Amino acid sequence: MMKKGGDFLTRPFLKIGLETFEKPMETPMTPRYFLKCCLTVIAVTAFFCSFQAVFAASPENGEEALGRKLAKQAVKGSKRWSTIDHTKVEALNKDFTSGEEITKACLSCHSEAATQFHKTIHWTWLASGDKSDIRYGKAGYSVNNFCISGNAMEDKGCLKCHVSWNKKGVKGEVNCLKCHNSSGLNFIEAFGDIKAFSEDGDPETNDMVKDIQQEIKQAITEVTFPTRKNCGECHFKGGGGDGVKHGDLDTSLTKPNRMLDVHMGIDGKNFSCTRCHTTVDHHIAGRIYTNPAVETRKSLIEDDLAPKITCVSCHSSEPHKNDSKMNDHTDVVSCQACHIPKFARVNPTEMWWDWAKAGKMKDGKPYIEKGPFGKPVYKSIKGEFKWEKNVIPEYFWSNGSQTSTTADDIIDPAQIVKVSHPVGDKTDPEARIFPFKIHRGKQPYDKIHKKLLAPMLSGKRGFWTTFDMNDAIEYGNKTLGIPYSGEFDYVETTYAFPITHMVAPKENALNCTECHIRENSRLANITGLYMPGRDKSNLIDILGWLSVLGALAGVFFHGIGRFFTRNGKEN
Amino acid sequence: MFKKSIIAIMVFMFTIVSFSMAFASDGPDGNKRKGKYTYRKVYKACAASGEVKSTTPKMSPADKTMKQWKDIFENRKFDEFGCKGNWAELSDKDILDIYSYFYHHASDSPTPAKCQ
Repeated sequence: MMKKGGDFLTRPFLKIGLETFEKPMETPMTPRYFLKCCLTVIAVTAFFCSFQAVFAASPENGEEALGRKLAKQAVKGSKRWSTIDHTKVEALNKDFTSGEEITKACLSCHSEAATQFHKTIHWTWLASGDKSDIRYGKAGYSVNNFCISGNAMEDKGCLKCHVSWNKKGVKGEVNCLKCHNSSGLNFIEAFGDIKAFSEDGDPETNDMVKDIQQEIKQAITEVTFPTRKNCGECHFKGGGGDGVKHGDLDTSLTKPNRMLDVHMGIDGKNFSCTRCHTTVDHHIAGRIYTNPAVETRKSLIEDDLAPKITCVSCHSSEPHKNDSKMNDHTDVVSCQACHIPKFARVNPTEMWWDWAKAGKMKDGKPYIEKGPFGKPVYKSIKGEFKWEKNVIPEYFWSNGSQTSTTADDIIDPAQIVKVSHPVGDKTDPEARIFPFKIHRGKQPYDKIHKKLLAPMLSGKRGFWTTFDMNDAIEYGNKTLGIPYSGEFDYVETTYAFPITHMVAPKENALNCTECHIRENSRLANITGLYMPGRDKSNLIDILGWLSVLGALAGVFFHGIGRFFTRNGKEN
Repeated sequence: MFKKSIIAIMVFMFTIVSFSMAFASDGPDGNKRKGKYTYRKVYKACAASGEVKSTTPKMSPADKTMKQWKDIFENRKFDEFGCKGNWAELSDKDILDIYSYFYHHASDSPTPAKCQ
């Protein structure tokens, strides 16, 4: 073997090399020798550099992206702690007979809570802090293409989600337990039962009343910071059911795994909603109608009191590894665009609602027809629906604000009306390419006044009782103080929801070719920028091909030249 | 004679109408509110005896349609509910109350209900 190895070393080409390097230093350095040395050094350096680059780009190596490091630091030691045990609070240790009594007990210690809460959008259902400005908000002129309008809080069906007792709206007392109780007890139903049993004069029900009182007493002390279930009771079921409104908020987020949401996953970071939706004086950070969630993107390093509402707050504006090309995207593309590849990944979400088809009967009775996913595809009281799962978002420029068409705005019924649509374009420094769920549908509009209409749905004169759309509109528009001509038809509308929950693990983020591709690019409708791979410029293509051909020609002619001049060979 | 015939016809009609009204009721007419708590009590007692782990009943009115509940209660097929012993202890009045609660809050009723 050794001999063989020795033979190997004595092979002619290596011999030449060794001889070259074994030459004594005092030998004068010829230009060719100098050139060879330089080329060798360059080749070796390039080889090592390329190795380093390959390993630096690999996600498997130990180096952690800055964004992850910062985010971990930001959420360190996040456990909540409290200095109160509500089971020991005297004011709560009594037999309550109404919700209002409970609120009084809460306020006996938390004296400013209701005053603070009365100023928030969760109470007023108006976007503006000024109560006389009713342009935007569920209690104002705002409409959507789901149940259309809150009819100035006159539609009692909607008030199930208002934070007051017994659907009294702003005329009632704040129901603190809606957000701050984890027992799951339906207090309103329990108090209703106590009242009914007390009035029916049946001695058999006395024990039941005592049982209910005991249940209430126990449940009332289960005071908590708002849990996912508290928030989800309304926000997961907005629009009349699970997953109807938002594509990225449904009951699957009550106990998600990290594959569904890396932040909320119970096997991931296990964040509650309030981890990001931080609160000041009961004002909860988040998008409000026309207003963005935050005016500027700030990391907690810049401002540790900024609301932790954006990705940038924790992950910084350069979240990927230092040499990653992805960091060059963050001034144009939102994090959500790549990290939420699809929404409604567990439960389906509603994508279409056609009010024009509402009101059909079977045997003279309203009916429900179920379709795929076990979801209703037709309801006499609401019309026709379409549901989808694993939906690919639609992408638009967005600076975080939305433009809204209210019941008081003039529309063009010949066009699809954008009831809610993102604001922003390439020139806006705050705008990024953002993913959206676009809910489409048909809803009534005034043929004469050219405005969207606000039919009343629940109650004695509501459409769900009378099935008379014209009367429901007349009554509904009256609650808003907007005149109705008496003639209506249906117009197609869209409503855009920003997709920002259901963040997938990084390994499931989008590949470059989902967007940088000529055919079926996810960003096919994004204008205002040149996207390599998606876009084509004849000038750049010609220059590119000329460079390639030039390089090939150079190599070819150099080789030919050397061949014919026998360059490199000793005489 | 004519007067007697008229009275007889009227009495007959009255009887028929009363009977029809009694049988044409919209489902069982027990105390549904009482039925809800009696039903919960069954599971509290059942959980206390260790037969089930949770005091929350496993079946809710909204789990079935009115027709399905009618079949279950009128034919007394309570196996699906579990807690057999506790069901056996219930009086006919209690069962009628529970039936009323389930029927009037079934999935196809105007107010479907889920147990907490």
